[in-house]
Order: sequence, then C-alpha cells, then structure tokens
Amino acid sequence: MEQQYAIEMRGICKSFGSVAANKNVNLNVRPGEILALLGENGSGKTTLMNMLSGIYKPDSGAILLDGREVAINSPEDAKRLGIGMVHQHFKLVDVFTAADNIWLGDEKSGQVLKKERYGVIGDMARKFGFDIDPRKKVYNMSVSEKQTLEIVKVLYYGAKIIILDEPTAVLTVQETAKLFDVLRRMRAEGHAIIIITHKLNEVMEISDRVAILRKGEYITTVDTPSTNGQQLTEFMVGRKVELNIDRPVVDKTRPLLEIRELTIRNDEGAVAIDKVNFYIRGGEILGVAGIAGCGQKELCEAIAGLRPIESGMMIHKGDNIVGLPPKAILEKGISMSFIPEDRLGMGLAPSMSVTDNMLLKKYDQVRGPFVDRRTGRAEAKQVISELEIVTPSTETPVRRLSGGNVQKVLLGREIKAGPNVIVTAYPVRGLDINSSYAIYDILNRQKKDGVGILFVGEDLDVMIDLCDKIMVLCHGRIMGVVHAHKTSKEELGLMMTGALDLSNKYEDKPAGIAKDSRIGEGEEEEA
Amino acid sequence: MKSRQPLFHVVKRDQAGPGRQLAAYVAAVVLALAVGAVLLLIQGVEPFTFYRQLITMGIPGSRYPWRSVENFIKLFVPLLITSLALALAFKMRFWNIGGEGQFIMGAFWAGFAAMQLGETLPRPLMVLVMALCGALGGGLYGVFVAALKVKWGTNETLLTLMLNYVALYFLQYFAETKTDWNFFLDPGSARPKFAKFPANAQMITISIGPFNLNLSLIIAVGLCVLLYIYLNYTKRGYEIAVVGDSPNTARYAGMKVGRIVIRTIFLSAALIGLAGAFQASSAGVLSTSITNDVGWTGVVVAWLAKLNTVGIVAASLLITVLQYGCQTASTTYPSIDANFANLLQGVILFIVLAADFFTRFKLVPRGRREAVK
Repeated sequence: MEQQYAIEMRGICKSFGSVAANKNVNLNVRPGEILALLGENGSGKTTLMNMLSGIYKPDSGAILLDGREVAINSPEDAKRLGIGMVHQHFKLVDVFTAADNIWLGDEKSGQVLKKERYGVIGDMARKFGFDIDPRKKVYNMSVSEKQTLEIVKVLYYGAKIIILDEPTAVLTVQETAKLFDVLRRMRAEGHAIIIITHKLNEVMEISDRVAILRKGEYITTVDTPSTNGQQLTEFMVGRKVELNIDRPVVDKTRPLLEIRELTIRNDEGAVAIDKVNFYIRGGEILGVAGIAGCGQKELCEAIAGLRPIESGMMIHKGDNIVGLPPKAILEKGISMSFIPEDRLGMGLAPSMSVTDNMLLKKYDQVRGPFVDRRTGRAEAKQVISELEIVTPSTETPVRRLSGGNVQKVLLGREIKAGPNVIVTAYPVRGLDINSSYAIYDILNRQKKDGVGILFVGEDLDVMIDLCDKIMVLCHGRIMGVVHAHKTSKEELGLMMTGALDLSNKYEDKPAGIAKDSRIGEGEEEEA
Repeated sequence: MKSRQPLFHVVKRDQAGPGRQLAAYVAAVVLALAVGAVLLLIQGVEPFTFYRQLITMGIPGSRYPWRSVENFIKLFVPLLITSLALALAFKMRFWNIGGEGQFIMGAFWAGFAAMQLGETLPRPLMVLVMALCGALGGGLYGVFVAALKVKWGTNETLLTLMLNYVALYFLQYFAETKTDWNFFLDPGSARPKFAKFPANAQMITISIGPFNLNLSLIIAVGLCVLLYIYLNYTKRGYEIAVVGDSPNTARYAGMKVGRIVIRTIFLSAALIGLAGAFQASSAGVLSTSITNDVGWTGVVVAWLAKLNTVGIVAASLLITVLQYGCQTASTTYPSIDANFANLLQGVILFIVLAADFFTRFKLVPRGRREAVK
C-alpha cells in the first residue's frame, strides 16, 4: 500500500441552482507535498476548496482525512480536523494586533486577552521561521505581512493541510519568492499544501503535482516535472492556445495626454499621487505597474474627472482638462474603465440590462425626454457578437453574467464610443486565459487605430509583453518609465517596492516630459 | 460525525419565472387568510362568512351600495398615490419613510388654501390651488431631507422618520389652539375643532347616475400611467435606476447625482403631498388622523409590489379591500374591529417575504440528496 493521503476528495459534486460548480471531482494530497490546483476562472477551484474548509457542503461525494471519511459542516470542523485556508481576501480584523487576530479564533485561549499572548505567538511564529511583530496592528501591515499573518494563524491552529487561494495575486516578485520559501519549508515539515493559482510559471516553480479543473470538471492530475506550460494550458482550456501576446509596432503620434506635476489626494486626505509627470502618445500602450494602493486608482479617477486635483496640469491635445466635469472629459474622447476588485463597482449598473449599460454614457445625447433603447439594443447586439459575450439576451441584468463577460461589456461600450485615450485598470482582472487574450486583442486593435492607452495592470509578465513602455509607481511617486522590451520582472519588482529609482536616469531631460510637448504650445516654447 | 448532518439543506434555485412568483404570492395571501381564519375561530367568529363580508365589503344588500364604493375610493386613492411616490424614492435607494409627515404637510397647506381662499375662488380653480399647495408643501418638506443628504450625507431614514412627528405635532398645534388668529378652527364651537372647508374646496365628483366618481381616482390612475412611463422609458427614470443601482457608476457616467436625488425626492414627496391635499379635499375637513397611516402602509405596499407600478396598484387594492372590508364586516361582529385588518396585513407581509425566500431557495432533505447521486 502506498503512502496514505493526507486528504482525499472523491466524486465531489456541488451545484448552485442549475449551475454545476463541481462535477465529480477527485483530488488528493500527500503529507509533505505541494499540490497546485489549476483552472481558469469559474472552473470551480475556490468552490472545491471552500468545501474543504467547511464554508460549503458537497451535494455528493466523500472527503477522506488520513483515510477516514469525515463530514465538514463548518469552518470550526475544518479547524478541528487540521485544515486551514488562507483566503484570497484576508479575513483579519484591521484594528487588532497580529497576536489578537490569532488569539480571537483560538478556542483554548479562553475569554480574556492574556498579557503573555504576545510572547506565546511571537515564539510560535519564530519557531516556524516567520518574522512578524505580534504587537503590530493589521492596518499598519503591508499586503505580504498580512498574508504571512494568515499563514501563521493557520499554523497556530495546528493545521496539517493548508490551502492558499491565489496567494501571489497581490504580491510583488520578491514577496512571491519569499512566500515560496515559506511553502517549501512547510512542505519539508510534512504539511500538505494546496495552492490555487492560474499562473503557469508559479505552478512549474513550486508544485510537486498539478490537478486541473475545467468548467467544474476534474480533468487530471499530473506530476509537475513531467509536464510543461503548453500542456497544462491545453488541459485547462481544452484546446491548443497560442501563448504569445502581440505587440504590434505602430507609428506614434504626438502626445495625446500629458500629465505635469500632478498631485492628488486620496479619500483619507493623504497624498496619493505626488508630483507626477508622464505622457501618452497615440498608438502606444503605457503600462502602469505598482503594488496595490500605490495611487493607480486615484490617478485613473483624476484623469476621468472623478477626483479633484490638488495641483498640476492634465493636457489633452493641447487643452487643459483639469477641473472639467466628467461629462466634458468624456466628450473629449477620454474613456476610463476601471475594474475594481468586485468588478461591478464602477462603470456598470449591475442590476440593469446589457442594453441599459450600453447607454450609460450616451443616454442623454438623443433629443426628447425618452431613452433610446432601440439604438442601445442594436449596440448591445453588436458588442455581444463582436466580443463573443455569453449572455442569454440583451435584456439580462449585467450582474448575472460571468466576470469575463461583464468586463467585455464594459470595454465593449468604451470602445464603441470611439475614444482617443483609453484609461483601463485591471481589464483582465480575474479573467481566464481565453478572455484575457481576447481583451489584449481588443486593446491592440485600438492601438493600431492610433488610440493612446494607459494600462494599469497586475501581471508583470503580461505587461512586459503587451505594453510599449511601463511606468512604475511607488507610494504615489514615479520610479521611472522603462521600455517594456528592455526591462525585466526583477527590475520592475524592485522599482515597485521603491528599492530602485530610475526616474532621473536620463539627465538630458526631466523624466516624463515629452520632447515634442504640446504644453505651452503657441505661448512660450518649453526649454 | 455523520449523525450531525442537518436535516435540511438550503439550495439555491434558478431565477423563478414571473408566473411562479405570482403563484407564490397568491399562495402567500391564501395562507395568511388561513392564519387569520384560525384567529377568527378562536374568537368564535365563523371565518367564511366573515371573509365573504370582508371581500364583498358589505356592498350586496346595502341600501346605498354606491356609497360604499365612494368610501372605498376615498381610502384607496391616498394609499395608491403614496405607495407610488414612495416606490419612486425607494427605486433610488432613498429610504423615504416620511410619507406620514409629507402627507400631513400636503393636507395642511391644502387646508390653508381652502380656509383662506375657499370663499372667493370658483370650485375647479380652488381644487387646483389646493392640489398645488399640497404638492408644494409636501415636496418642500421632503426635499429638505434630500438636500441635507446631498450636502452633508445625513441619514435620510432618521430624518424623514423624525419629521413625521414634527409634522403631526405641528398640525395638532393648530387643532388644539383656540385663539382669534387660528382660522382653521370652527368659530361656532366652544371646544377647539377643525372647521369644515367652504363648499368650493370640496373635491370635485362626477355624477354617473347615483354614483359620484371622485375626480382624484381618475388623477391617481393617470399618475400610475405617467409614473410607469417616467420610470421605464424616460431619461430621468433611467437616471433614477442608475443612481439607485450604483451612485459611483452614475457619477462616472457624468450624471449629477445630487441634482437627481433632489429632483426625485421632490417629486416623490410632492406626490405624497398631493395625496394629502386630495384626502383633505375629499374629507372636506382637516383632522389629526387624516393620514390613516398611509405613510406606513405605503411602505408595505411598495415592498409587497417590489416597487413595480402594476404591482403597486394590485397591492394597494388588496390592502384597501382588507381595511375597508374589515371595517364593514366588523360592524356585525362585536369581537372584531378594524385592527384585524392591520393584523392580517402584517401576516401577509411576513408570509410573502417567506414566499420570496422559497422562490429563490429550496430546502432539500439530506437523505434524498444522497439518493439522487
């Protein structure tokens, strides 16, 4: 008999209404092994793991722990059985210290906060080789510290099986490397680890075996050393896919949008963007890289006119657009599509139909008191067929569509309006490979038409392939603008954390100011 | 651990079709009536006869059947208009629960106009002036809260709620203060008592044989159609839907959210004020109980109908039948009074909410599930 599995799932089925999230899934992990769970979005990875952690219950099938069948009815059950999950969105109390966050869920700790908790938890973290300050408040922590805390929490509760849901999505390259060290160490200590991801290079780097799900169905499990990215993608998508992103070379125009000495505050009144200079030409994609909260959101909002500007200039084709209302900026052909974490927060009205959402920015352009739904419906049909949006009808509320289709509706509408500058933030957030490539394609087509694109992205690999230039932000300051074909992920990673500042690399001209600037055109020429 | 499996399992259903939802609502009302029947039996009342009387509202066998219909309309119209107006605000996720206050203000200012100008103006003009005064009074009372919300982000639920009492005590002050300047009171009475409006301030009725059709019913039906069109086909209605769905998206689309909120709430409150004016004019006299609780009942109606205009007509008809029917039926049963209608109304609301749950989810016994596999 071969080695006992730490956990085994047999024939797991789970459906929500008529949607089958998991169909007959089999999965097993040995102690001291890292299993990667790979699949496109909506393939049921998180649902499957939520059944292990007691958030959902399977409709049918069995879960075996050390060869013994168990029923996991609640997260407490999972904890008792030694299953711990680090969720994609951290489950921490912001105003509590690290130690208190752990203490909170510990059944043995009793009703009072004991003084020695800092010591106990600090010792324990050190034992596992983590470097965390038990007295630090969560709101003062960086994303990677929070994640470490989540892992420590899970270990403190005695988990032998650890599930991580897309742990690298929020990390920089360097932080990811650190996380992987931690995972390897835990593997050496005999923990069974399941890591959910859709980044192929990480799968190849960290895992021992890979299990693949596609549309809720279990495809197969393969040993990592015996496979490659191409094969995994085929398993995941179900057919051959081209993994190269095009970067067409297009004649660039003079700057379309120039940002000069721009300073913006965030909602709390702190400086979010600090004296930033950059410009976008037509026929170019300028990538914006940076860790979460470095000011990308505020920058996008400011360009769209949704956020007041503290100081500085924003020149569009030679006209200052600072202080114009969102509508006027829209009419100049600047389109902003921001995909927030919940995907529906800005840019779409989730309860309204696809047709109504198509009309969002132009409902007011027709004469008379009525909304012109006929045009809207025609446009919706056109966008649905052009971008291959899957929807029951044009009258379906957007919130009922899947994430990829929601994003296509949003981008489709923006492009339909014929903009000359597109500001797009996280357009492929949470999308599967197919939909992502469809969106890169859409952006490239716009670029060929001479549109200037500001692309705020998360995946550095993609940005290096897609963008012409990449601007790196750190705490609201520009760390430099680099040519995408000359840079590397490591360099970008260092710039994102502020360790490398290339903003004054070229001394002949200040960074971020175009030689053929339109600022000051007709008045005084720039020196 | 196997034994700890729960007996039932909540499972999400697919979106139910409109037919199924309607069936669920009808079933809910029937179930509520059944619960009511049990309560009636406990009090020794035969439920079938009671319900028959309730539903027929005492019209058959009455010496003045038309009078019953006229009274029914007087109850129905204010509730219908108020519910429509509240739904308008709720569509925008503005929780206007100040219907009572706006209604009172509408009635008060309509009464003000009636007492001041009732003797001089001809009747059609007088009714029009009262309607305008009522709408303006109610509208301004509501728009005050909207403006505070837009400007300082105050909580509209609290403010509209508190202003209900302000309005009520404001009216009560005029009802109970017997002085020379208080022209609202009947000079002939020693006790403070609201005076009847001059004849020209009475609501216009259209005689059809023995039946006098209250003009306000025609206006209310017209408002239903207009509001339906307004909400579903016009740009303003579109704006309301977007603001209600996601204010961030509305701002992003270039809408002036503050202006939309103020405009919509003014409209909502003005309609409620109009209902108040109609009520005052139909009754021909002010009273501190003039609202008949429509500001509250309207909230129930709007939610029962899921803010749908057609649904609101149906739900307010149902609630009015209950109230008016109970009133008439209770005259034959000493142990039951009109409050029974409120009780039934509450039961219906609860059961409809439960029915709503069952149109979205179903319970599956644990054992059967395993068998299905």
